[in-house]
Amino acid sequence: MLQYTIRRLIGMIPIIFLISVVVFSLAKLMPGDALSGKIDPLNSDPEYIESMREKMGLNDPIHTQYLRWMGGVVQGDFGDSFVHKRSVMELVGDRLPNTVILGISALIITYFLAFLMGRFSGRYAYSFGDYLISGFNYLALAIPSFVAALVAIYIFSIHLQWVPASGSIGSGVEPGTFEYFLSKAKHTILPALVLGAMATASYTQFLRNDMIESSRKDYVRTARAKGTKESTIYNKHILRNSVIPIVTLLGFDIASIFGGAIITETIFTYPGIGYLFVESVNARDYSVMMAIAMMLTILTLIGNLVADILYGLVDPRIRLS
Amino acid sequence: MKKSAFWLVSVMLIMSLFLAACSKETGTEKPEEKKEDDKKAAEIKPGGKVTFGYTQPFKGVLSYAYYEGQDDVNALQFMHEGLIATNDELQPEPNLAEWEFNEDNTVVTFKLKQGVKWHDGHELTAEDMEYAWYLIADPTYEGARFSNVAMIKGAQEYHDGKADKIEGIKLIDDYTIEVSVIEAQVNLLDNIWSIPEPKHYYGDISSKELPDSDQVRKNPIGVGPFKVKNIVAGEMIEFERYDDYWQGPAHLDGVVYKIIDGSLAQGLLQNGEIDVMLAPSDQWPQIKELANINPVTIDALSYSYIGIDQGRYDTKAKKVVMDNPKFSNKKLRHAMAHAIDRQAFVDAFRNGLGKPLNVPFPSVSWAKIDDSQINQYEYDPEKAKALLDEAGYKDVDGDGFREDPEGNPFTINFDAMAGTETAEARAQFVIQSWQEVGLNAKLNGGSLKDFNLFYDTIEADDPSVETFHGAWGLAADPDPAGIWLSTDKWNMWRWANEKSDELIKKGVQFPEDTSKDVTEYRKEVYAEWQKLVNDELPVIFFEQREDAWAINKRVGGVKVTPFNVDEFHLWHIVE
Repeated sequence: MLQYTIRRLIGMIPIIFLISVVVFSLAKLMPGDALSGKIDPLNSDPEYIESMREKMGLNDPIHTQYLRWMGGVVQGDFGDSFVHKRSVMELVGDRLPNTVILGISALIITYFLAFLMGRFSGRYAYSFGDYLISGFNYLALAIPSFVAALVAIYIFSIHLQWVPASGSIGSGVEPGTFEYFLSKAKHTILPALVLGAMATASYTQFLRNDMIESSRKDYVRTARAKGTKESTIYNKHILRNSVIPIVTLLGFDIASIFGGAIITETIFTYPGIGYLFVESVNARDYSVMMAIAMMLTILTLIGNLVADILYGLVDPRIRLS
Repeated sequence: MKKSAFWLVSVMLIMSLFLAACSKETGTEKPEEKKEDDKKAAEIKPGGKVTFGYTQPFKGVLSYAYYEGQDDVNALQFMHEGLIATNDELQPEPNLAEWEFNEDNTVVTFKLKQGVKWHDGHELTAEDMEYAWYLIADPTYEGARFSNVAMIKGAQEYHDGKADKIEGIKLIDDYTIEVSVIEAQVNLLDNIWSIPEPKHYYGDISSKELPDSDQVRKNPIGVGPFKVKNIVAGEMIEFERYDDYWQGPAHLDGVVYKIIDGSLAQGLLQNGEIDVMLAPSDQWPQIKELANINPVTIDALSYSYIGIDQGRYDTKAKKVVMDNPKFSNKKLRHAMAHAIDRQAFVDAFRNGLGKPLNVPFPSVSWAKIDDSQINQYEYDPEKAKALLDEAGYKDVDGDGFREDPEGNPFTINFDAMAGTETAEARAQFVIQSWQEVGLNAKLNGGSLKDFNLFYDTIEADDPSVETFHGAWGLAADPDPAGIWLSTDKWNMWRWANEKSDELIKKGVQFPEDTSKDVTEYRKEVYAEWQKLVNDELPVIFFEQREDAWAINKRVGGVKVTPFNVDEFHLWHIVE
């Protein structure tokens, strides 16, 4: 296992390198930079913009810029954000907790709903309830998240006024108090619900299909022949086996927890990584944009590895070598 | 069901467009600007909290010397002030300091008010002002404000590292500071940096590191009516009343500056989550009808224009070269202006928040010429056609479009910025207006350009750029230098005119007859200049904007200015 992990980690290096080239080129292919369009004779002048471009190295040949950036990245330094005037690592670090809280809450909601719905659909396959569930799932999958977010805000925040519509924390609360925790939860629940409840389709269908397949297996027939209760068969024998593929999906979700939800975070003004990413793309804040893209790349690779390892752990039939 | 709701919304949007277009003749009603009633002022009860909304996340660079955008200014305005303020006539007036010029206007002496205190209790002294100039002139300074101190004698040398002091700054005593400038300018007070920075508080932090320091980001201080209590990055800043404010403590207990998504503006104003905000113009018709909102509109200092590219910028010679004769015929430019119904554009796309303008000064500017003295370029397609006929642009081959006087096909490339929902429709409005008078206009490259690409292509003098729809915001001082001189790189329409250059330069000089009032004199010079650009029409001046403010009825005392809101210490809760 250890050998396998090390081998996979070494294999990642050339992939990360290749992706860094792609991320860098795509960023540089975007028209403009953080200074373009800053036309304001009262507060700056063309000489200032030229000298800043020179200072930031934007006039250097492209390979020099790449090597300088990559040199920093290898040492864990993603440079400074031009727009925010601070180190990218600090900036990302500031936003990360929000994103992680939102990501984990959304994931818990997804898993919880998907588990309930999948179990029902798998057990009562092709029933009316099953169709209702898959109908909901595909509808949720098809509705764009900004529509879902706006509708949810309209209903729960503006109309019913149950939860606030924007931000990640209310005003006037002291960090560390119970009130603070409550305010945080109140602000997180709606975006988490929008994110989580709308993404249940794949998990539910995975579980459902696996349960249907397992229910035709020989060991289930044996159990039935022994006279085991139907609920025991489903809840103990089938469910345990069918949960395995779901558990391994957890690995793939790592990147999505940290990556944040671009659209949802923006609409809810929930300052996380996704919000920062959009902001940086619009402002052409290269260093931030590339840092987030690289971070997601590495997390996706690690997520894949974790998924594979988890698979080996939960399913003894798979040997990692 | 959701789909049908969406469909309904789109139909309503389209219908409101038509309605807006129809309301043109009746004229748009302009709500009276709300004035603070005096009898109420006597019985103001202190206390309460007001939420100020904005739609772009703030960066958190909370120092005037370093901030970049409106997002940070919106926070800074509550907590800090400068020596000079701008009055309702857009002229400088004393705030934290009075000033005096010497005889030839090259030395100005600022005398600071005594007893003004920073939020940490230290008194504001002249040293803080000197410190601010040194910060900005510092060789390692990476902000954009150097041009605001460059006129001080010796600032350039200090900036280049050739001197270790700025020669022109002389500290007389704790409240008096004297500045010598390189040459006398009438608008010096508008241009010179006048916002002090807390020297005792920043300590030894270098000018380069300041924007990332905790003193600027986490615990910034100022001398304004509110002090920062809590900052939640990118999302919210809480302010609380500063009891030692020099104009007396504010009425409110605190202010919350909150970032929201623009699409939620209406709902959040309605349910009271936001009390004061600059309303997005597309939601204005709904917002101004809200029962709990006082709608206030005010002429802004901004306008949009259609630039007509007549040449390129020679970066070596540092001046505009007018080498593109395609649009050099004045009648053609006039015809292009007459062809567009600008009022209909404002009504349809900005919900009536604006009006056509014909010179580069919006009507709030004191330098604006009287409308009776200039060509109004009213919408008149017949006149446009007649002008084109006169200029020799005639449809020779019968394809419905005019050819140029030599009989060659004549097309116009039009560029516009993407970004808003109606951007495409706005561009088509202009293109079709031109097509209706027989000018074959089309969208350059077949699509809109995003903000960065738009300015990059124009600045780089891309040969495909011919006409473009840009926007511009002005400062209180009307000096057109910076974008209108033939030596300006930001003269995007690449128009060079000796007479214009001469007048612009004359406009910032003191009158030879010293008994003459400087403002009156400048008004005359700028009137002459406006007549020139109005007639030459290097750009088609399009529409000047109106800002629409939504203010919750429970909040009183909010003063709306062409720039933003003001008089924060007088804001109060109305019962």
